[in-house]
Amino acid sequence: MFVRASRRSIQVIATVASLVVACSGEPRAAARTPVAATGAIVVVDDAGDTLRLAAPAKRVISLIPSATETIIALGALDRIVGRTRYDVAKEVDNLPSVGGGLDPSTEAIVALHPDVVIGWDNDKRRAIRTKLATLNIPVFSLRTEDTTDIFHGIASLGKILGRDSAAAALASSIRGTIDSVRRAVAGRPTRSVMFVIYPEPPTTAGPHTFIDELIGVAGGRSVFSDSHDLWPTVSMEEVLKRQPDLLIVPQGEFKANAVDQFRARSGWRDLEAVREGHIATVSADLTQRPGANIGEAARALQAAIHPETSSTKAK
Amino acid sequence: MTHARPVLAWPLSIRLLVLAIVTVLVLIIAIRLGAVSMSTSALFEAVAGRGDPTTVTIIRQLRLPRALQAALVGGALAIAGATFQALLRNPLAEPYTLGVSSGAAAGAVLTVVTGWSIRTVWALPAAAFAGGAVAMLLVFRIAFSVGGSRSLDTRVLLLAGVVVSAFLIAIVWLVLTFADTDSVRSAIFWMLGSNAGASWRSVGILFVCFVPALVILCSLARPLNLLSIGEPTAAYLGTSVEKTKLVAFGTATLITAASVSVSGTIGFVGLIIPHAIRLVWGSDHRGLLPCSALAGAAFLVAADTLARYVAGANELPIGIVTALIGVPCFVWLLRRPGTQ
Repeated sequence: MFVRASRRSIQVIATVASLVVACSGEPRAAARTPVAATGAIVVVDDAGDTLRLAAPAKRVISLIPSATETIIALGALDRIVGRTRYDVAKEVDNLPSVGGGLDPSTEAIVALHPDVVIGWDNDKRRAIRTKLATLNIPVFSLRTEDTTDIFHGIASLGKILGRDSAAAALASSIRGTIDSVRRAVAGRPTRSVMFVIYPEPPTTAGPHTFIDELIGVAGGRSVFSDSHDLWPTVSMEEVLKRQPDLLIVPQGEFKANAVDQFRARSGWRDLEAVREGHIATVSADLTQRPGANIGEAARALQAAIHPETSSTKAK
Repeated sequence: MTHARPVLAWPLSIRLLVLAIVTVLVLIIAIRLGAVSMSTSALFEAVAGRGDPTTVTIIRQLRLPRALQAALVGGALAIAGATFQALLRNPLAEPYTLGVSSGAAAGAVLTVVTGWSIRTVWALPAAAFAGGAVAMLLVFRIAFSVGGSRSLDTRVLLLAGVVVSAFLIAIVWLVLTFADTDSVRSAIFWMLGSNAGASWRSVGILFVCFVPALVILCSLARPLNLLSIGEPTAAYLGTSVEKTKLVAFGTATLITAASVSVSGTIGFVGLIIPHAIRLVWGSDHRGLLPCSALAGAAFLVAADTLARYVAGANELPIGIVTALIGVPCFVWLLRRPGTQ
């Protein structure tokens, strides 16, 4: 029960949290890299540590699935030399696994000779960073809680990989998608929603998370926008009291019919939204991976909250 | 306490020699296996610093300190468990009975939640050790105050350990209830126990604690033999009962706290290894303590190796491995003809 709970929270966090990318100062690639040939790269990570690289990183391990996807979106798949067991991107399936993103095998990382490891900035023990630092493998930490973090992370990854212009293009394309969603729902009434990460105990996305921001973009407002936590666990009583118009459920957590699932649960079945079948599912991969696909996530939330404005049907 | 008749009447020197050979073999296997497996000869090359630099780094900076830390933690927990079982005259006694692990957890969780562990590398192990030591002092304080004299009632001590432990665990969960998700996850990872954080520094610190502790406890082997029969008997036969209890409890607790501070709480070793040695070779502490140290070391190195090897790069929590392989072995020992 204990272990299960922690695993689940790891998955949730893995989906939502932050990135660390570190780079090591290996001079070897400098002469061969025509782009930004002046070489040295200095980037400050989200934990406040400075990463110095003599040249763009050639060998990268990302411990964060969303960062892995961002690196692929930047066209740098060939720089990725390892993956974690939580990666879902098919492109990295054939790469060797280094274990979990939060408890990777240091040995497996060392054996892959990365120039930099991109890691979570939320390891309170800093166990991985400390261990890798003694082995001269730098760790670059990224936060990915809100959209500001995500855009900042895309820019940082661009610098580390020497792909600044690709990063700028990716960011502006994501911004374009988000703006188009914002325009599509303009003038529509704001719907009160609850994003249900899991139902027992009720856990939702708090303010200052990218999901909460994207719900706002898509014409909704979370009934728990006053929470102090990023991923608050709330009481069933409080859910009933706040009566959201709509439940949004990331699919993957509940494979079967979400409405039936909630109708079978005490507490939830007394919720008006459940009784009337106002439950929308969105792909968990889209809404729980704070990286290059948050534009798609905004579209999915638009389809869930204001299906009448959306060409894509809510799943 | 199991006062089993020794099943194998080997001389002590032979027992120690056999266990030492087993421990060394297990260590060699442990250092060979991993993401990059290698032959024994390549292993000795790498230890000497020759060969592929990556292999050298993996062996010298990762596997060797990790295997040695597992050995020291296993040995420390086993002798602490043997000592607690003798002093408390309770077969269920183990190194954590007097609240050391709960105190260490409280210390560790406080550094995680306050963010101190992020700023200072040694904050978490230091706080865990301090927490374990404070828990021990608290338990002794309660036991002495109830006894009302200079004598220590081990029954009261046992109860004090249980309640202090419960209280500290309640504090841990109270703090974690209000902590952010990152802190909760980091704390749980720590509490599950692991040798993944081993470094030469942690091995050095443990070694410096372990050797004197082993010497002190072995020198108390005869008084421990008498105490495990009963305190009046021990006093009658010339043991300075109170002094022995204090020194033995203190030593066993501090070595446990040192182990917990580097590896978290690893269950089962301290409980089962001393019983296993008693079942095979009898309960004379002159043999029990050094044999438990070696057997505990070999057992935990083996468990740690399985934990990091069987599932590829995915590491299993070591407590799961110690119980999964330890329980069947122990039941087999218990059921063997000739036992009892």
